[in-house]
Amino acid sequence: MPRVETVDSELERKIDLRKLTKIYGGDRPVAAVSDINLQLAEGRFAAILGPSGCGKSTLLNLVAGFESASHGSVTVFGKPVVAPGPERAVVFQEANLFPWLNVFDNVTFSARLKGAPRQHYQPLAEELLAAVGLTGFERHMPDQLSGGMRQRVGIARALLMRPEVLLMDEPFGALDAQTRLQMQQLLLDVWEKYRKTVMFITHDIDEAIFLADVVYVMSARPGRITTELQVPLPRPRTMSVVTSGTFNQLRVEIFESIGQHRQ
Amino acid sequence: MTELNERLSAGPAGAVLANTGAGSREVLTWARIGRRLQPLFVPAVILIGWELAVRSGAVPSGLLSSPAGIATGLWFWAFGTAGSGMNAYSGTLIANIFNSGERVAEGYALAICLGVPGGLMIGFNRGFARTLDPLIQAMRPIPITAWMPVSLTLFGVGAASAISLIALGAFYPIVVNSVMGARDINRQLVRAALMMGATPRQIMLRVIVPSALPAIFVGLRLGAGVAWTAVVIAEMVAVKSGLGYVLWDAYYIGRMEIVLGDMAVIGLLGFLSDRLILAVERRVLHWKNDNSR
Repeated sequence: MPRVETVDSELERKIDLRKLTKIYGGDRPVAAVSDINLQLAEGRFAAILGPSGCGKSTLLNLVAGFESASHGSVTVFGKPVVAPGPERAVVFQEANLFPWLNVFDNVTFSARLKGAPRQHYQPLAEELLAAVGLTGFERHMPDQLSGGMRQRVGIARALLMRPEVLLMDEPFGALDAQTRLQMQQLLLDVWEKYRKTVMFITHDIDEAIFLADVVYVMSARPGRITTELQVPLPRPRTMSVVTSGTFNQLRVEIFESIGQHRQ
Repeated sequence: MTELNERLSAGPAGAVLANTGAGSREVLTWARIGRRLQPLFVPAVILIGWELAVRSGAVPSGLLSSPAGIATGLWFWAFGTAGSGMNAYSGTLIANIFNSGERVAEGYALAICLGVPGGLMIGFNRGFARTLDPLIQAMRPIPITAWMPVSLTLFGVGAASAISLIALGAFYPIVVNSVMGARDINRQLVRAALMMGATPRQIMLRVIVPSALPAIFVGLRLGAGVAWTAVVIAEMVAVKSGLGYVLWDAYYIGRMEIVLGDMAVIGLLGFLSDRLILAVERRVLHWKNDNSR
């Protein structure tokens, strides 16, 4: 019988959104997201692509548990989402580090909340800081770091929680173009190492294709998923894939999909 | 090159730089000392003028003591033998400083214990804000001086009356700034802590308190100022000891050198307590200072 149990739990190990709708109240209710159905299996990297105001951040907030659904359900790895929790780590648009804590204390904040002894989290913290290229910056304060470095701290902080899923809300949106490319590559390198299930919100078509296994294209008002595109680019990926035919083909498909759904 | 030379010799600093050798270094040093002493210039002129005015008899010494007279008065007040000769204040300064200081410390501590946690709760929790904030805002315009009869009725003549007034006076700036500190926190930081599994208690202690600390310290510094004001007023009326009591008593028996010396001591204590809070703030908020350096 244990075999059946394994199968069961494997089936449940996914992000599962069913008929998910979020309506903001008031005299004229507005649906930020509407009727979203999405199943993302463990270890997959999904990009949610859409213009600003299409509700893609609302979608992420619903999965994170920062907001609650008006209709439909959010289930992550078999558990219905009712509140934020450490099994769903978030990397924010602005890094949202605690400015009074140094890099190391920011990265290890979640472990220290649980009262874990230092020897339990220090090895992983050092490993993650090395993975994001911040060895030697442990004692720096957030104000002393560049935007890209702050986001690297945010990524290390999220991974230290050993989360089931990683929710990333346009984490590179505020960075300059060059830093953004560096961060995309760095994220892929880190992801290859830890293979978390990722939901990555972006408005950047190239970023979505470069990073993800599957791209969900959203349209605005109400926010719906209009297209689901598999990205068959081989991994591990480097920047050179952006010149490949497959990459360009996907770009064209996404452009066409956006064009079709524009009013 | 000539343009550079012209620019260098343009201002007074240029004149100094134009000199070469040992002389220029000396001039620079004097200039620096001069700048250091600049803030003392106006007070020195006033003190000298004041001293001369009293000595020449232009101002009667019974009306206004001379700076030298105040200094002598302070000396005997501080170091004279208690109960000796005609000087009733002889040797009582330190005891009076301790009397007033203790009341300020107790009232201020009470104000912090109520104002900081109360303000943080009001600032972060809408329920607390609705129940308590209007009450505080309605009471705040009543000056602490107006509370004097009430506190005398409730606590009688004595230290408790003074302490209650100090606590009340210091409470308002502390609570109001704590409210602002907690209200203006970055809600995204709270979300970050929530997603890392923080409990409500941990959110309060590890996110809201550190976020609000810069505002809280503004309140603490304002509150300390009010506390010294309150202790002087309270001791004039409600207690028979302390710097405020001496101030009024000395005025009544015409000891102007004690009145003015007392004022100087109160000012110095207020200044020192502000420096102390500032020093604590610098240590606690080191993450802020690092940035502005």
